[in-house]
Amino acid sequence: MRGLEAKRVLITGGASGIGAATAARFLDEGSVVCVLDCDPVALHRIKQELPDLAGILPADVSDLKQVQAAFAEAIRLMGGVDVLINNAGISIRHSFLDITPEEWDKVIAVNLTGVFYVAQTAARHMMERGSGVILQTASTNGIMGYPFYADYNATKAGVIELTKSMALELAPKVRVCAVAPGYVLTPMQRAEYTDAMLEEVNRKIPLRRHAQPEEIAALFAFLASDEAQYITGQVYTCDGGEIAGGLASR
Amino acid sequence: MQLDGKVAIVTGGASGIGRATALLFAREGAAVVIGDVNPTAGQEVADEIVRGGGRALFESADVTSAADCRRLVVRTILEFGRIDVLFNNAGIIRRATVMDLREEDWDRVMAVNVKSIYLLSREVIPHMEKQGAGSIINTSSGWGLAGGAKAVVYCASKGAVVLLTKAMAIDHGPRIRVNCICPGDTDTRMLRAEAAQLGEDAGSFLADAAKRPLGRVGSADEIAQAVLFLASDASSFVTGTSLVVDGGGLAGTG
Repeated sequence: MRGLEAKRVLITGGASGIGAATAARFLDEGSVVCVLDCDPVALHRIKQELPDLAGILPADVSDLKQVQAAFAEAIRLMGGVDVLINNAGISIRHSFLDITPEEWDKVIAVNLTGVFYVAQTAARHMMERGSGVILQTASTNGIMGYPFYADYNATKAGVIELTKSMALELAPKVRVCAVAPGYVLTPMQRAEYTDAMLEEVNRKIPLRRHAQPEEIAALFAFLASDEAQYITGQVYTCDGGEIAGGLASR
Repeated sequence: MQLDGKVAIVTGGASGIGRATALLFAREGAAVVIGDVNPTAGQEVADEIVRGGGRALFESADVTSAADCRRLVVRTILEFGRIDVLFNNAGIIRRATVMDLREEDWDRVMAVNVKSIYLLSREVIPHMEKQGAGSIINTSSGWGLAGGAKAVVYCASKGAVVLLTKAMAIDHGPRIRVNCICPGDTDTRMLRAEAAQLGEDAGSFLADAAKRPLGRVGSADEIAQAVLFLASDASSFVTGTSLVVDGGGLAGTG
């Protein structure tokens, strides 16, 4: 991918799943990469798996002070941030009627407020320097309704609108896009499935399988690269055709 | 090597019993994280371990601060990935009766000697629970089991450590063992500071110690051996106990 060599990339939620695969992909492209995550055990593990990482930054994105301190540390380690992969997120499976105020607040705090904190901190840095790319992890759940994740879905819809609004205000210096993955087979997700559950979900997807985290990482790499220099304000779905046909594809 | 591949946090690890234990743990194969308020001495202990081919780091931490305790644990996990042993050893002494003890000294001694164990253990225990095993060792004192003159808050704090240890052992078994050590007079900087607080020279302390069955004060290395026992799998059926290491001081005088 053109233009990723020596680019300085910060990835939130970068210690596992899609974030970790994205970190590996950008390292392969010759980028300089720091990962930020709230789980120190996972950070230790990714540092073992990807020893070329420029840094591992423990921080909770829902805490502005921690975000600012970690971002300052990323700048210290890499000399600046050219690309932000604003990816940290959580989900809780629960029925709408059972969502507690604490669960609601937690999901909003990480997935929406945390995305905002990181995006604004990075955007100020990039606008001052005159260029940059911000890519955010949305979800097909932010486009269609899905049961048992009402709070998560609302935050991902929020991320999509935040992305578009940011793109308008930060243009032409900074490009902003979102990626909306469908079902992704992260190790954590695989552990939650029985074989039968996995098969049942796969049957609903036109391409008959989950995405590998590396396939989402590839989309991030493209959108961050010089190949995508005319792309901003858009949401790119990577879902094996899952939402292409609405009910027809179920 | 009794702690091969294990990761240990030692608070108050810059000097005395903590330093001796950090060095011994490292010799037994553990990666050691030294937490202390003294950065110069703490870094020296870490450097000494690394020079000897071991794994160690120093993290400046006041264990009476919840934020510092959290940072100490995060740093440990980032660097070494797990925590097998926690030695809650940071401690201070004030030699005074209730009539001449200052209120801020009461608060400070209780914070360093007791509250720190709560603050740090609550950060460490979730990691040990997830790993399925862990050993916590708290530093009490012979004066946690018997009273001493002009040492009210120290005795109160060390007595609290004995019962805190037992209560924690009940809560966190079967995966986590929690024990404490009760050293008698040990030849450390704290012992000398104690003599100074009483306006005595350290020599009189050492002479007093001659009355106990083993006829001398202990060395930090001798206490560290007891901590190693409680940290290692050699003590796999020991929890909630107070291991007295005092040259027979509490046994009585002949």
